[in-house]
Amino acid sequence: MAAAQAYDIRSVDRAEVLRYLGYSGQQLTAELDARIDAGVERCLALARPTGCVRVFDVSGRDERDGEPVISLAGTALELRGRSIAAHLAGAEAVGVLAVTLGMGVEAELRRLSLSDRVGQLIFDAAGSALVERAADAAETTVVAAAAERRLFCGTRFSPGYGDFPLATQPVLLATLDAQRALGITLSSELLMAPTKSVTAVVGLFAEPREDAGHESCAACLCRDFCLLLRSGRTCRD
Amino acid sequence: MPTDLLSAALAGDAFLLFDGAMGTELQARGLAAGELPELLCLTHPEVVSEVYAAYVAAGADVVTTNTFGANADKLGDAASVEEVFSAAVACARAAGARYVAADLGPTGQLLAPMGTLAFDDAYELFARQVRAAVAAGADLFVIETMADLAEAKAALLAVRENSALPAVVTMTFQEDGRTFLGTTPEVAALALSSLGAAAVGVNCSLGPAEVAPLVERMAPWARCPLMVQANAGLPHVEDGVTVFDIGPDQYAAAVAGMLDAGVTITGGCCGTTPAHIAAERALLDGRVPVRHELPDRFAVCGPQRVTSLVPGEVGVIGERINPTGKRKMKEALRSGNHDHVIAEALAQERAGAQILDVNAGLPEIDERAVMCRLVDELLGVTTLPLQIDASDPAVIEAAVRSYPGKALINSVNGKAESLAAVVPIAARYGCALVGLTLDEDGIPATAAGRLAVARKIVAATDAAGIPRADVVIDCLAMAASTDQSAPRAILEAIRLVKAELPGVRTVLGVSNISFGLPFRPLVNATFLSAAFGAGLDLAIVNPGVRRIMDVVDSWRVLSGEDEGARLYVEHYAERSDAAPATEVGEKNRPAEKDAALPTDPVERARRLVLDGRSGPMADAMREVLLAHDALFAINEVLVPALDEVGRRFEAGTFFLPQLMASAEAAKAGFEVVRAAGEKDGAPAADKGTVVVCTVKGDIHDIGKNIVRMLLENYGFEVVDLGRDVAPETVADAVVERHVRLVGLSALMTSTVPAMAETIELLRERAPWCKVVVGGAVLTPEYARMVGADFYAKDATETARIAGEVLA
Repeated sequence: MAAAQAYDIRSVDRAEVLRYLGYSGQQLTAELDARIDAGVERCLALARPTGCVRVFDVSGRDERDGEPVISLAGTALELRGRSIAAHLAGAEAVGVLAVTLGMGVEAELRRLSLSDRVGQLIFDAAGSALVERAADAAETTVVAAAAERRLFCGTRFSPGYGDFPLATQPVLLATLDAQRALGITLSSELLMAPTKSVTAVVGLFAEPREDAGHESCAACLCRDFCLLLRSGRTCRD
Repeated sequence: MPTDLLSAALAGDAFLLFDGAMGTELQARGLAAGELPELLCLTHPEVVSEVYAAYVAAGADVVTTNTFGANADKLGDAASVEEVFSAAVACARAAGARYVAADLGPTGQLLAPMGTLAFDDAYELFARQVRAAVAAGADLFVIETMADLAEAKAALLAVRENSALPAVVTMTFQEDGRTFLGTTPEVAALALSSLGAAAVGVNCSLGPAEVAPLVERMAPWARCPLMVQANAGLPHVEDGVTVFDIGPDQYAAAVAGMLDAGVTITGGCCGTTPAHIAAERALLDGRVPVRHELPDRFAVCGPQRVTSLVPGEVGVIGERINPTGKRKMKEALRSGNHDHVIAEALAQERAGAQILDVNAGLPEIDERAVMCRLVDELLGVTTLPLQIDASDPAVIEAAVRSYPGKALINSVNGKAESLAAVVPIAARYGCALVGLTLDEDGIPATAAGRLAVARKIVAATDAAGIPRADVVIDCLAMAASTDQSAPRAILEAIRLVKAELPGVRTVLGVSNISFGLPFRPLVNATFLSAAFGAGLDLAIVNPGVRRIMDVVDSWRVLSGEDEGARLYVEHYAERSDAAPATEVGEKNRPAEKDAALPTDPVERARRLVLDGRSGPMADAMREVLLAHDALFAINEVLVPALDEVGRRFEAGTFFLPQLMASAEAAKAGFEVVRAAGEKDGAPAADKGTVVVCTVKGDIHDIGKNIVRMLLENYGFEVVDLGRDVAPETVADAVVERHVRLVGLSALMTSTVPAMAETIELLRERAPWCKVVVGGAVLTPEYARMVGADFYAKDATETARIAGEVLA
């Protein structure tokens, strides 16, 4: 069993939740405001954000069946496609992560689907915002591992983006032992359950990235979870 | 005499020592992360055998085959299930193992209804592994690291139905004492040992110190030996390597404590080594097994909760989910829109039901399919265990087979045919069973006659090996108005059954007693008190009737069940005849007045729709109907308000939650109009029927739910087939009702092909039917590609299309 981390996340950006709900400045009634707050609270209460992270060195870049393939040392995981090849161009190592909010959130989504459909919509949006926060938290582990090696992180990239195939999921999840450690399952259509789960890879580069969101601590999404800040460093040092 | 140790161990008379970790050992020998470890049985059998040999040398009695993930789905094209099991068992034999346990791990997929893997498909994956293991010569099965009780059950059934070998079952728990799916150790022990597990226990999860209290919680519920295979502590990463902290001596010391609690089968999971197993061997050799106590109690469970009664305690079974004599329930079961069922379930749970009876017996519906769907949906909204209530044994079997827990079956009776059909089902699936005291000669009039039928039933359950505590005799309440000697006969029968058939429990559907009398709840309550006095264990009642729960709550004080009258005082301190409770668990509360709302009810109702407030809607609508008819309420109040909501949504002045909150408020209004219309005998407005669902493989149903709400508001009858719906199910529903419009939703690119498949089948079987599609990944081009007639970008557009098609 791989080492799982639990993330202590006590808040979600309400604006993010509203964004998932399609909000664009509409006037809200007090009732709806209260329902959104209640949905976010309930999501925070039921979620058990956990994740697994591992970092692998890039061991090869090939072309197979007319497609770029990145191989990693010590894992059967291969990263295929032009999108991921471009995203990880020049990367020395790759952080692989999986996070989930757990089956409690999934059961609540099911319950709301059967009994309160407005509640379901709101809770789902809160879950989407929260699982991204969990991914931010997991990313800090990669950032810290990078800093240790004097490398710099890029941004997260998930199977299903661009031509990075969803078929990557089985081996990616197996690499992290994600079913045993986190309870993430995968359907034959390659959809994860709990649905509020995220998998991603992050490149580790020799030079600082300009597109990585880590340019300043103030604007960094990982700030609340940063493992480096606690020891008075930043990932740009 | 190798077989002796195994059978002695499974009888709880000897210890049995399993091996330790395989995965961590293989990784230490170079297995790459993400690789299928099972393939090493074929490619590097000597490496696998070397691990086993070390465990055998350390003193393990049993080695576990390296087949954790060796199911057809995970292996894919890499190897066949049969090849892997054959090689794996051979590796174990080559190492000189005394016993070889074939390992069955989880499928890797989440079972329906939360996930998409059907119970029967999970069963088939396991069954193939079981047959392969039997052919390869395994001695027993170990079903392990299960988080989902339904999946553990599928695996155990696969073993029991495809082999004669015993299966030990362990589940994996988190630090909060539940599996990922919320199952507790008590539930796991009760459900799996009732189903025939040779041993139950805990594996993986946590270190031995954390596992100890979990397995101790299992002990009083397990009718079989207890097993533990803990991790060598919680894994953490050091210098990029996963390490485990608990060494062999510390591990064995923790196991020692568990032996005192009754554990007799041990071993190790992730991070344990031959040294850990050797330490356990030394520990076991100096000890004798301790037998754990199993108290006398009636117990059933859902996946997350046990309902149990020790002798002297009384329980409440909610009777409301039954169409007999209930118009709204009939309508719900016929239409397939189960909102009313869900609401009844939640209300009964709130009111104090501890088990819910579920009956889908209507002549004109597919009872088996409806029962299974009801069970699935109820599992989504309540944790209460279910009582499967059907007269057709096939319906009962379909429902209890995949039920993730230990169900109560309602019922068998004393007729030979019923005993022959139902008792084996209860025995095979480890269910509790209600036995009705009637037989070929009808319901005996006397207590002695009822006892005689009960004896016949208990003789059959005894013979089938069903424990007495799982047998619940119903002495059948008959109307006092037709025979005033009946009540005494029933009470006497309860007394006799309990005295003459020790260990057996009793149950009674109370309300028949008052048939034909005025003020029935009073008679029911009086009879219920008398029945409790006679020794009744379980009452099948409507817990929403305050008077009934008053009897239950006060009886629990008199019987001593409510210790110190704590619950009674908590709930009844404010009660008196002058201040009766209106609804169970709620105090009187004056209706809230909102000064900001218009006083004119028509204006107020419009405002409430626009504001998306359903709370005050019913009152407003009732006021509207004082001065107007139903047609006005619909056409002049609700529909124009909804139209305005639709315009605002189109214009972007409303966003989705507002649209839905408005639809919800309008629905509350429509329900008042419909209820009033039914009273007056006016037919409800019907604009035609639309079938909606999320397609096969997709469990995202928010979009589909939005569409359903809006269509219902606009007066369409919606047949909601749910999510992850097979093409055949859609076609069946469309053909059966000759539906002219189907709405299909898909959220993921990977499920769009299922959409095309569904449409293709509809074209073939229901060429008259139009199809509208929607969902996050869809575009007008995609819609054309899958062969749909219409693409709807959102729910309001779907409603517009429905209006056109069904005009």
